[in-house]
Amino acid sequence: MAQTVAARDADFETAESAGPLAQARKGFGEWAFLAPALIFFIGYQVWPIVRVLWLSFTDFQFLSDKPAHWIWFDNYAQALHDPLMWAGLWRAAYFTIMFLPGTIILPLLLAILIDRVSNPLTATVYRVILLIPAVIPSTLIFVLWKWMYNYQSGPINHLLVDTFGVFSLQNAPQWLGGTPLTLPSIAVMEVWWGLGYHTIFFLAGLAAIPQDLPDAARIDGASEWQVFWHVTRPQLAPIMMILVVLRFGTAMAVIDEYLIFGGFNRASPTYTWTIFMYDQAFKLGLWRQGYAAAISMIGAIAMMAVMVLLLRIFRPRG
Amino acid sequence: MTLELDQSDARAGKGQDAGDQSGSTPVGHLVINFFNVVIILPLVWVLLMSVKSLPDAMQGNFWPKRFDFTHYAYVFQRIATLPVNLFNSVYVTAATVLITAAIAVLAGYALVHIRPRGAGVVLAMLFVSLYFPVRVVSLISIYETQHWLGLINHTAGLILPYITLQLVISILVMRSMFQLVPHEIIESAKIDGAGHLRTLWEVGLPMVRNGLVVIFIVNFVAAWGEYLLGVTLIDDEAKRTMPVVLAAAQGGQGQWAWPNLAAVYVIVVTPGIIAFTFAQKLFFKGLLEGALKG
Repeated sequence: MAQTVAARDADFETAESAGPLAQARKGFGEWAFLAPALIFFIGYQVWPIVRVLWLSFTDFQFLSDKPAHWIWFDNYAQALHDPLMWAGLWRAAYFTIMFLPGTIILPLLLAILIDRVSNPLTATVYRVILLIPAVIPSTLIFVLWKWMYNYQSGPINHLLVDTFGVFSLQNAPQWLGGTPLTLPSIAVMEVWWGLGYHTIFFLAGLAAIPQDLPDAARIDGASEWQVFWHVTRPQLAPIMMILVVLRFGTAMAVIDEYLIFGGFNRASPTYTWTIFMYDQAFKLGLWRQGYAAAISMIGAIAMMAVMVLLLRIFRPRG
Repeated sequence: MTLELDQSDARAGKGQDAGDQSGSTPVGHLVINFFNVVIILPLVWVLLMSVKSLPDAMQGNFWPKRFDFTHYAYVFQRIATLPVNLFNSVYVTAATVLITAAIAVLAGYALVHIRPRGAGVVLAMLFVSLYFPVRVVSLISIYETQHWLGLINHTAGLILPYITLQLVISILVMRSMFQLVPHEIIESAKIDGAGHLRTLWEVGLPMVRNGLVVIFIVNFVAAWGEYLLGVTLIDDEAKRTMPVVLAAAQGGQGQWAWPNLAAVYVIVVTPGIIAFTFAQKLFFKGLLEGALKG
């Protein structure tokens, strides 16, 4: 490999020599490769969080001319007394509870099935098809399913009303738009979206299991279910833990879907803590961003608490 | 050609020489294909919708009685802002993908082969950020920053926050890719007199190609479909990106009649799927080598 570096730059060698100035330059040079990443990471991810934490202790309103005041925990106290905050957290949790099992179990099942396909071409075709939704950008998934679920002209209701006649035009299900079906419908869409990606995740995990483990178990007379439960499952536990915790995080903090499917109707199940935050920060009155900041911090802290709990529960034993 | 079998794949060899009792069953294929159909059907429905005649579109039958291929031309001619919106999305996405990839390659290389003192702290912060709802919490402050920079209602301004959409993932992918490059190779290149930048470009980069494919795709998907920042930071129809326009379009009559909407959808969604189908071999390799270990 080294022969590809044909040219020699002897100048670079001299910079290696010691001396305080050279040392400092070396330290700076070492960080140069990380600098662009750090500028963006700190500027657009770390700083905003610190700034929002700061704002959450003030009565800052974006459109107001008056200076903001430091009001300590007043925003937090008000938010915690606001039924919308609690409704928002509960709605997000309700969605997560519906979404999480489906998005773990179905891909696991598919991965185990695809793992057994011995024809490489067939296996590749399966994986490519399953992964198609993963390369469709988020909003385009939502737009697609907004049509699928459309009350009048969506294909799902067309199937139920015109093809199977299970429902009539009057009582056909209203999948989206703030009905009780909205969150389950979005959960189904999300499972569909993540199906292939998570399957690939599990396939990678399955590929890492030494083949003699399940083989030995089978020779000992274990049934397929026993092989799965006692050999495959423990081996997949670390991947499953990462998936559960990461997906819990994304599910609790869903916002785009709710903006697109639900809007700002407070009675809608899609009005979760994220929408509550957005509504306060960019829609209502003078944009009470101090209050909105407190809402988002409460949501984030609640989420993190559960995630730590999940990490403890799913921690690999032994 | 893209589906040719992949010998170096991690799956190859397993299951073939091993015991046959673990082979696939007809029921297994049936279940897999059921899900395949569930995945493909909605997409085929949109594709067909985009070439249906208007009466067929109203009727809702899956297969149209009469095809009408004029919708594609119509949407470009009659929806005034559409070409602009499409162009906005193209350049914002292209810039985001290229800049993020460059940043991630540099950072991934540095984290493995330069290791400045304190790099461990950076790495820990990157990992922690994966578990924090950064996107939601940071929104208020990002709006403030963009306002301060005078970038509200400037499409190009979206590039800055878009770079961070998948930056952490991209860095972590590149990091695990560079971990596969032995230290000795980097060292010997350096002994030969190459600086870090040259070593990275001539020795490192060719060895992390697959990871590069992964982060190209991941960042493309993120930027091409971004909604939250696009709708919050831009408030002018002509400056908006495609996802925001599509999400707001109410299907029905006139310019946004269902087939027109479907045509726009197909135009927007196809490039990604085609690119992925061609790159899938490298993508899966990269995914197995690096992406799934982070």
